[in-house]
Amino acid sequence: MSWLPFAHALVARQDLPVPAWLFAWGASIVLIVSFFALAAAWRTPRFERERWRPLGAGLSRVLLSLPTQVVCGAIGVFLLGVAIYSGLRGTEAPDRNFALTFLFVTCWLGFPFFSAIFGDLFRPFNPWRAVGRVAGSGFRLIAGQRSAHLTYPEKLGRWPAAIGLIAVVWLEVVYGASGGVAVGLDPHACAVAALVYTGYTLAMMALFGTEEWCERGEVFSVYFGMFSQLGFLGVEDGRLGRRMPLSAATRWATLPGSAAVVIASIATTSFDGAQEGAFKDAIETVFEWLSETGMDLTTALRLTDTIFITLCFAGVGLVYLLGVRGMRTVRGAPSFAKLRTGFAHTLIPIALAYLVAHYFSLFVFQEQAQFTYLLSDPLGTATTDLFGTASGGIDFTILSANAIWYVQVGALVVGHVLGLTLAHDRALAYWPDYRDASRSQYWMLAVMVAFTCFGLYLLSVSNG
Amino acid sequence: MNQAKKFLLPLAVLAVAIGLVACGGSDNNDEETVAGTFEALPGAPSDYAKVSGDAELSRSDGGTTAEIEVSGLVPNTAYVAHLHTGGCDQPDAGGPHFQFEKGGSEEPPNEIHFEFEADAKGEGSAKATSDQEVPVGEAGSIVLHLADDHGTAMAASHAEFASLFVHEGEHHEEGDDHGDDGAGHDAGDDHGEDEHSHSDKIACAELEGGGGTAAVPTIIVRNGEPVGGIKQLEYSAGEQIRFKVSSDEKEEIHVHGYDLMQDVPADGTVEFDFPADIEGIFEAELEGQGVQILELTVNP
Repeated sequence: MSWLPFAHALVARQDLPVPAWLFAWGASIVLIVSFFALAAAWRTPRFERERWRPLGAGLSRVLLSLPTQVVCGAIGVFLLGVAIYSGLRGTEAPDRNFALTFLFVTCWLGFPFFSAIFGDLFRPFNPWRAVGRVAGSGFRLIAGQRSAHLTYPEKLGRWPAAIGLIAVVWLEVVYGASGGVAVGLDPHACAVAALVYTGYTLAMMALFGTEEWCERGEVFSVYFGMFSQLGFLGVEDGRLGRRMPLSAATRWATLPGSAAVVIASIATTSFDGAQEGAFKDAIETVFEWLSETGMDLTTALRLTDTIFITLCFAGVGLVYLLGVRGMRTVRGAPSFAKLRTGFAHTLIPIALAYLVAHYFSLFVFQEQAQFTYLLSDPLGTATTDLFGTASGGIDFTILSANAIWYVQVGALVVGHVLGLTLAHDRALAYWPDYRDASRSQYWMLAVMVAFTCFGLYLLSVSNG
Repeated sequence: MNQAKKFLLPLAVLAVAIGLVACGGSDNNDEETVAGTFEALPGAPSDYAKVSGDAELSRSDGGTTAEIEVSGLVPNTAYVAHLHTGGCDQPDAGGPHFQFEKGGSEEPPNEIHFEFEADAKGEGSAKATSDQEVPVGEAGSIVLHLADDHGTAMAASHAEFASLFVHEGEHHEEGDDHGDDGAGHDAGDDHGEDEHSHSDKIACAELEGGGGTAAVPTIIVRNGEPVGGIKQLEYSAGEQIRFKVSSDEKEEIHVHGYDLMQDVPADGTVEFDFPADIEGIFEAELEGQGVQILELTVNP
C-alpha cells in the first residue's frame, strides 16, 4: 500500500456552499445597510477630491528614481520569463508548474487584492511597459527623435482591455477542456498564450505608444489599475503621496469602455462561480444539445462555456444599464452617456468583493505552494531545490469552512457598502439638489442589491 | 420629508429582513434520521420467514431516539433488539454491539437496547432513547433476538434484566444448518457476544446511511468509469472517512486535498480510511485517466 502525497489540479480543496442561515443573514444585512444609507446620508460629495498629501520627499525620490524603475522592470521581465520558460519546459502537471500558479493566482489575484489597499503596484513591475520604455529610449537614442505613434482611436477607449480581460478568464476556465471534460489549462498552453500576448502587446505599444496602450488596451495594466484606484497610495507629479481611499476611483471611469472593464470583471467571476453550481444544469443542457448536432465534445464544451460567459457579460451589463436608465428618469439628470460612464467606478468595490469571495481560499492555499515547492522547483522536475523549500506543501487546514464563509459574505457586504458610498457621492456631484440625488440612488441601490444578492446566491449553491 | 417618514422605509425593511433571517434559521435543522427495514436473517428459525418491520434512528443535538416496529413474530413472545455497528450482510450479522464507551458496560445506557413482547397478532414495537448522540457511521444495524437466550446469558451479570424474561420458554429450534461459516464467527469472538448462538438472531434492519463496518461505500469502476456516476459522500469534520474502490483495471486512486494515493490492481479493491480533518469539497479520481469517481464533502 502506497500513501504518496501528491497534488493535481490547482483547486484541490473547493469551498463548501455558504449555508442557508448565513445567506439569509448576509442578504438581510445588505438590505438593512442599504436603506439606512439612503435615509441618513451626507449631502455634499466627499470623495470627488482625492485630498492627496505627499509623503516624505526622500521616500519618493528613492522609490520613483530611475534605478528603482529599472530594477522593478527587470524583476517583472525576469519573472515573466521564468513563468514562460517553466510553462514550456516544465512538467505538464498544472499544480507542479510555476507558470499557472504564478500567472493566474499570484499575479491575477494578488495584484487586485493588494493594489486595492496600497494603490498601483503593478505599474512599476509591468514587464511589457518596461520593455516598451527601453525600446522607446533605444529608438530615441539611435534615431535622435521621438518615435512617431498612431493616434489611438479615442472611441475604442478601454474596450480592448475589457475584451482582453474576458479572453484571459476564458483561457483560464474555458479553453482547458478535453473530450467534453473541463481539465484546466495546461502549463504549456499557458506559456504559449503569454508569448502571444507579449508579441501583441509590444506591437500595440509600438503602434500607439507605451503609456497610451497601458492606460487603455493593456489588459493587466487596466485591470489591476482599476482596483488600485481604491488604494490609499498614489503618485502625482512625480511624488508619492497618501490619498483618501476610494477617492481616486472617482476619476478612473473617464475613458469609453471603462464600464465594460468592470462589468467584464464581475461577469467573468460570476461565470466561474456559477459554472459548477447555479449554471451547471443549463450548461449541461446546451452542451448535450450542441454535441448532439455532431460537434466534437471539446469544441462543444468550449462553445457552451463561451456562450455562457458572453451571457454573463450581457446580463451584468444589462442590469447596470437598467439602473442607469432608471436614474435618467430623475429630475435634473445628466445624459445617459454621462451617467453610464460616471457610475462605472461604483462597481469596482463589488468586482473586488466578487474576486475575494470566489478566490480568497484558492489564493491562501495556492500561495503556500508558490512560496514552497513552486519557488524551489519551478519546473516541477522533483530534482531541483533552489531554496530548500521543495518538500513543502499546502496546509489545507489553516482555513476552516466557517472562516472562508465569513470572509466571503463579509467581502460582499463590505463591497456593497463601498459601492453604495461611491454611488451616493457621485449622485451628489451630478444632481444639484441632494433630494434628487437621493432619489436617483434608489436605482443604483437596486443594481447593487441585485449584484450582492446574486453574489451571495452563487456562493450558496456553487462548488467554488 | 420629515424625520419620522424617513425612517419608516428602513424599519419596514428591517422587519422583512428579520423575517428572512428567521426563515433561514428554521431551515437549519440539526436532526438527522437513518432508517431501515427488518428482514429475516438466513439462519433464523423457520417460524420467522415472514418477519418484517421498520427501524429508525434519529440523532439530534445531544441525543438519540430509536424506534422499531416488527410484525410476523410469534405471538405473545418477548424479544430484544440491539443497535450494532456493522451491516446485516456480514457472517455475524451486525457485528459488535454499538457502545458509546467502547469496551465499557454492555448494558444501557452504554448500549442501545430494545425490549418488547409481541402481541396476539405477532406484532410489537419498542423505543429506546439515549441522552448521547450515536456518532454518524456507527449506527450500522438493529438486530432482533429472542429474549430467552439473551435473558439467560445476561442473568449472571444483571439480575433485574433477566427477571423480565424469566417466564419465557423455548419458541424456536436451534438451527445447525450454517456451521460452514464458522470462520466468520472467529472474527467476532473477542467482543463478548459469543454467548449468543448464531440462530438466536432473527432479523436485522440495516440503517441506511448508518455506514457501519459492512456498509463501507464502494465505488465500482468499470472501463475507466464509475458505475452509476460520480459517487457523492458526505461527512462531518472529525469523522472517519471510509470507502472502497474496486476496479476492473489497474489504476491509481488519488484523493485531492488530503493528497492520498493508492494503487488498485486489476479486478482488485482498495480501501481508504482516514479522518475527515480538512473541511471542504474534494475530488477523488483515477489518476492515470484523469476521471473523477468521487465527490467528497466534509462539513464543519
